[in-house]
Amino acid sequence: MSAKKIPIIIVCFFFILNSFSQEKFTISGTISEVRSNETIIGVNVVIKNTNYAAITNEYGFYSLTLPKGDYEIAVSFVGFENISEQINLSENLKRNFALQEISSQLEEVVITESNKSKIRKPEMSVNKLSISQIKQMPAVLGEVDVIKSILFLPGVTNAGEGQSGFNVRGGGADQNLILLDEATIFNSSHVFGFFSVFNPDAIKDLKLYKGGIPARFGGRVSSVLDIYQKDGNSKDFHINGGIGLITSRILAEGPIVKDKGSFLIGARASYLHFFLKFSEDMKDNTVYFYDLNAKLNYKFNKENSVYLSGYFGRDVFGLSRSFINTYGNATLNTRWNHLFSDKLFSNLSLIYSDYYYGLNFNLVGFTYDSGIKNYNIKYDFKHYIGNNLKLNYGINSIYYDFNPGVITPSNLDSPINYKSLDKKYAFEPAIYIEAEQNLGKKIAINYGLRYSLFYRLGTSIVNLYQNNQAVVFNNDLKIYEKGTPIGTEFYGSNKTIANFSNLEPRFSISYELNENQSVKASYNRMAQYLQLITNTQSPTPLDVYTPSDNYIKPQIADQVALGYFKNFNNDNYSLEVETFYKTVKNRIDYIDGADLIANEAIEQVILNGKMRSYGLELMLRKNTGKLSGWISYTLSKSEQKTEGRTPAETGINNGDWYRSGYDKLHNIAITAAYNYNKKWNYGANFTYQTGQPVTYPNGQYEYQGITIPSYSLRNENNLPSYHHLDVSATYSPKPDKKKGWQGEWVFSIYNIYNRQNAASISFRQDRDTGANEAVRLSIFGIIPSVSYNFKF
Amino acid sequence: MKKLIKYTFLFLLSILIISCEKVVDINVPTAETRLVVDASIQWKKGTTGNEQKVKLTTTTSYFSNTIPIVTGAIVFITNDNNMTFDFVENPNTGEYICTNFIPEINRTYILTVVYNGETYTATETLKAVPQITSIEQRNDLGFTGNEIGIKIKFQDNGNEDNQYLFRFDTNISSIPIYNVLDDSFSQGNEIFALYSDKQLVTGKTVDFTLYGISRQYYNYMNILINVAGGNGGSPFSTPPANVRGNIINQSNPEKYAPGYFNLSETDTINYTIQ
Repeated sequence: MSAKKIPIIIVCFFFILNSFSQEKFTISGTISEVRSNETIIGVNVVIKNTNYAAITNEYGFYSLTLPKGDYEIAVSFVGFENISEQINLSENLKRNFALQEISSQLEEVVITESNKSKIRKPEMSVNKLSISQIKQMPAVLGEVDVIKSILFLPGVTNAGEGQSGFNVRGGGADQNLILLDEATIFNSSHVFGFFSVFNPDAIKDLKLYKGGIPARFGGRVSSVLDIYQKDGNSKDFHINGGIGLITSRILAEGPIVKDKGSFLIGARASYLHFFLKFSEDMKDNTVYFYDLNAKLNYKFNKENSVYLSGYFGRDVFGLSRSFINTYGNATLNTRWNHLFSDKLFSNLSLIYSDYYYGLNFNLVGFTYDSGIKNYNIKYDFKHYIGNNLKLNYGINSIYYDFNPGVITPSNLDSPINYKSLDKKYAFEPAIYIEAEQNLGKKIAINYGLRYSLFYRLGTSIVNLYQNNQAVVFNNDLKIYEKGTPIGTEFYGSNKTIANFSNLEPRFSISYELNENQSVKASYNRMAQYLQLITNTQSPTPLDVYTPSDNYIKPQIADQVALGYFKNFNNDNYSLEVETFYKTVKNRIDYIDGADLIANEAIEQVILNGKMRSYGLELMLRKNTGKLSGWISYTLSKSEQKTEGRTPAETGINNGDWYRSGYDKLHNIAITAAYNYNKKWNYGANFTYQTGQPVTYPNGQYEYQGITIPSYSLRNENNLPSYHHLDVSATYSPKPDKKKGWQGEWVFSIYNIYNRQNAASISFRQDRDTGANEAVRLSIFGIIPSVSYNFKF
Repeated sequence: MKKLIKYTFLFLLSILIISCEKVVDINVPTAETRLVVDASIQWKKGTTGNEQKVKLTTTTSYFSNTIPIVTGAIVFITNDNNMTFDFVENPNTGEYICTNFIPEINRTYILTVVYNGETYTATETLKAVPQITSIEQRNDLGFTGNEIGIKIKFQDNGNEDNQYLFRFDTNISSIPIYNVLDDSFSQGNEIFALYSDKQLVTGKTVDFTLYGISRQYYNYMNILINVAGGNGGSPFSTPPANVRGNIINQSNPEKYAPGYFNLSETDTINYTIQ
């Protein structure tokens, strides 16, 4: 590590610390919702007629340090009544505020955090969505979907309907860090990609970082999706739930000790398989999924609170007795919030997260179990040094236990031998420090540094290859082939097989042109030590992450972004324009015909390449009024290149740049909500994307009685463009009812003009005629649905 | 009521799982034509293997209904014992026939094709295959567990790594079905090949051929089967690859010929569904 840099930073901070001369005091506290005591993230706390302002953190905490004096403090958050209060600051003060939701929704529906602070803050390429916004968006089969909702944000696409994952700024789905209450979620989908694993009733809000990623995050190169679960109501006991076509949900929350502790427990399950029993053909098949969310929190005193949260979800998919597939995530997280002082907030987290994939293939006679377990300790500090300086620093270390697969014969007749693929272990510690600083009235900067390390550990037997090349190039045939190990090396328990370290600088700056306009710039470097082994267009549950090692290098991304932000028409509208350029080193590519499942020597089919993406994003929002929503447009390119390692090698695609599978030139997304009256709310979505890059054949030939399509370069063609329009209407029969049973009906129509979007086009021979044909697979046509939600 | 629930379910299932497939018109480019060498030397157990065939065609546009044949080429195979076997053109078929070929297990052979002034060569080794030990009809196959099909067994040689090619010819499909298997998960075991289809009803026939193949040919067929089968036709398919065989154009290495030269011992069995 460049040890020289650290003292410079420290000296820099001390210089700032010493510049305080006046007598100053701190006002700090927590801001929550009045009815439930649920803490609120991102509330603006402003000292009127001054430049002092703060925003509550992930735990609803704020802290402001000002010179002694009398002030008016104003607390505001969209959709809530403002609070202002006179304070006399002559000693350190604790002030907690409880905000009330605006009762008449008709007047004001706001879809974004207050915009003033957004203009000023050196934060860009970040989008925030609250669960109430997400619930207003029409969804396939009426299933509110956290992951699908972010596809409406600029710079975010996915591989199409029913596809899992998402692509941020031309990056792969594996390059997104998805956190649920800080625990890593390795697979965010149910039923391949039809539904996401997040029960909307248990979620508070989410934040998507596409660039300018703060130093406290690391481990993935493209984005961070930070999702928070609700804490639970600490005042009263409530139940809410919903009945939909696919799933039903129920969630209970209430106090353990009034105003001090609360619990939340939620469950969601699909019930398709009950209907299967009624069908003669299908009665032996099963398909279902479920999620459980639980959270407990307890506030011991003003300085200490403890949170315990967990998630457990499974998908089960079985075809007759021949095939049963089970997979899902489990997380458990214990957190301790401690205030060392009014200015120093800390959080210690112990996190366990687990992804399991199992297959029982009775037809052939074997079971296959695989998964990742990881254990994470995080200690984060937020240090509110003064109005002009806030420091975030902390440590984080993750231990990974990868099980690439254990294959067990399931009956005596089985042709399969027992085989346990080598387990893989790794350790990923990191430290970071970052400063949020105001330089005068116009300029705010956020700069930080993350130092990440990665150790691939034994016990393991590592293959050795001639010239250290696990993939060899067949110069006669001009193809890549698996190398043959020339020996193996044994590494004992916890012996380091390979290690990496990276300094990841992060920087962003905002310059306020005036109260309503600013320009911002950011740079970040990110390192990713886990690689998802997949060569399909969108991830499947079977895809496994593998740690970097002697043959698979960590991905390193550098991204710069520039942005222009403007609020106009009295903050009714806001405009965000951003442009970005991103490069990723060591993006893995696969040799033709690579078999990835249960491959013991994955290094033999992998080549290290690179990728780049660049684009322009526009987002125009209408924030207030009966009609609210946004229009986003993204123009972007995403390309990949894998050159030969020597001049004689061809590389992939002749070593030229080629479009990555998620290159979408145009991406338009519109979402709107209209509050017609207290009883009726309407929502609409429209999306248009350039069709997915694909490769069409440029000829055919005959070989051994079948015809084979021949292909030229990769991804030179596009699927037909992808678009659909969806609408929804929500009916609340008794909107003014605040106590007792409250219900609402949600009617929606997905893909209202029945567009047959192509999920894929395959080229094949007709079985009866033997003639070649192109076959389009489309997943969703027009889909009407209805669901009922309730609470009491 | 029951009917209603069933219809609701079928509706859901149809949108959730079955989705919609449709044949569509797509404009595709056509690349410059190339020679295609289809040279699969098969030595069926119990025969002399003297009669062999190589077929030469060219590539053509993807939706064309005819495959152009190649005439006037010179085709011969030599082995590492300096024997040469000439293949004589059968006029207007694109087929080149040899009647005195001598197959030997583990012997290496070189194919030479001279066409349009360019010389193409390929080298391969003839691989042995175990005998098919049994065939049985099953009525519980397929993902739904109620398809009729056949299960064919053979014994893997536990002393070496083996690769196999399966070919099923049936009278329910105009094209053969191929599959490859290696013994990496089944070393030394009794292995089976399964084939089932909804249309495989009483009276339908299945001809099964088991080939012993080289690792290189296994890799080739593994990709080829994927590419030919429309790559599974799902969003979870892998990017289509150009299948590069072992035919090298010695005169112009850039312009290789698609196809493959392989030599396999084979065993076959025929079955009529009861």
